[in-house]
Amino acid sequence: MKYLRLFLSFARTSFIADMEYRVNFLSRILTDVIWYVAQIVTFETLFQFSDKIGGWTLPEMRVFLGLIFIVDGIYMVLFQANLDSMTEKIRKGDMDLLLTKPVSSQFMMSLQRTSTAMLGNLIIGTSWLIYSIISLENFEWIRLAWLIFLLPIAVITTYSLRMLVSTVSVIVTRADYLQFAWYQITRLGLRPDKMYAPFLRYIVLTIIPLAATASVPARALLDPPEVGLFIWIGFVSGFFLWLTTKFWNYALKHYTSASS
Amino acid sequence: MRFWKRNKAFFKLAVLSNLEYRLNYFIDAILQPMIAAGIEVTLWYSLFHTLGKTEIGGYAQNSYLAYALWTAFVTRISINWMYEFRMIEDIESGTINSLLVRPISFFESHLSQFLGYKIVTTLISLSIPLTVTWIFGLPFDYSKIPLALGLVTYYLFFLHLTSFCVATFAFHLNKIHSFTVAKNLTLWVLCGELFPLDLLPEPLKSIIINLPFSSGVYLPVGYLTGRVSHETLMQGFLSTTVGIFIFAVISIGLWKKGLSSYSGTGA
Repeated sequence: MKYLRLFLSFARTSFIADMEYRVNFLSRILTDVIWYVAQIVTFETLFQFSDKIGGWTLPEMRVFLGLIFIVDGIYMVLFQANLDSMTEKIRKGDMDLLLTKPVSSQFMMSLQRTSTAMLGNLIIGTSWLIYSIISLENFEWIRLAWLIFLLPIAVITTYSLRMLVSTVSVIVTRADYLQFAWYQITRLGLRPDKMYAPFLRYIVLTIIPLAATASVPARALLDPPEVGLFIWIGFVSGFFLWLTTKFWNYALKHYTSASS
Repeated sequence: MRFWKRNKAFFKLAVLSNLEYRLNYFIDAILQPMIAAGIEVTLWYSLFHTLGKTEIGGYAQNSYLAYALWTAFVTRISINWMYEFRMIEDIESGTINSLLVRPISFFESHLSQFLGYKIVTTLISLSIPLTVTWIFGLPFDYSKIPLALGLVTYYLFFLHLTSFCVATFAFHLNKIHSFTVAKNLTLWVLCGELFPLDLLPEPLKSIIINLPFSSGVYLPVGYLTGRVSHETLMQGFLSTTVGIFIFAVISIGLWKKGLSSYSGTGA
């Protein structure tokens, strides 16, 4: 309850700060819209040359993209600004102050700044998903219930994987290059896992579970339910969340306070 | 003579400062494009694997792998995040004040540094795709390298002008970093980094290929890997020239307007 109150308080101050720079507020929404358009154009172009990619038709692929947009939107609202600025906070010594607070330092580093502008993207992403589902023939609406379970898993997995990468900067301070490498690797999650060869598919479902972000939730909506897979991905997601806490605490033991 | 001397100084400054931290240089020039190329090649390979086809849009798998490999490296040359952010920072923080009183313009100093940085990165990083192309026998014409790199270099002047235009908004607004992100994402879509632009349907394909942005990736890489003809590449020089002219006019206007409203805070 204490953490929820704290989060709401952070969100309120973030909203006030965001509204201070309104052009920036709007341009951040526009930026993500461009990214969404890029993803849509890529698949619309590739589907000119094939009826199916990774076992899905174009209307089904639009559902997959809608899920990518929603998970990305939630992640952007809650975590992105915090994890992006982590290296900077460590380098400037701003993290020292956070470590003195009587709350979890991981919580502070992960949720202190809410990007309220990105709520606009979340609305756009949700609208796209609804549009793409309506375009499907014979869609079973009851399947949306799977998202109550799988969407939080997708967001937790996205957060956990990125948090693990960002935490490295607590130990080595300058880890900007890792962020870039990570950005490249996440691109594997922007394609349905079923299009990969078995070895790569195994990797995106277990070792680096990027398939949890959109492929698995999309499968729940489009293919016959694979309950075993959903439970597995829930377990993997929980494991990675646990791992972030372990790794964060380990990194703090090696933290040398960059600025002071 | 003075012009070359002062620009050479900033050019050298960028070369030296980028070589100062060798690990960062290695990561920037080699490791990052290698990872990007690895992922890009994997994605195209997987696409062919899942489609079970030997060709897409008239080109074989090896053609796409060569395109993906070279795109990752050429993109490292034809993007400009760092110097655009620096220009914005200079204006926002007031560091620009010290540049305004020097015998070199703000535009020139950043352009010279930008080109110095690109040269020092390009020389090393292009050795990787050259080696990979040679080992795997990917479709590639080595005799086309000078002209293709010539277009990319020419494109850098255009790119710097677009960055300069974005940076001038910092005279009027605070926090414009998202403008840079938006601009670079737009270039990412239009330059052909996502996929070869010839896959687009008409008339979109002709329109986008004829824009100057395609000179950053699609035209040079397509030319090297056999997707783009000599004539189309030369059209790239023409469209880039038009782009340079248009953005030069815009940037002069924006700079004058920005400078007249600048109050010289900070520094």
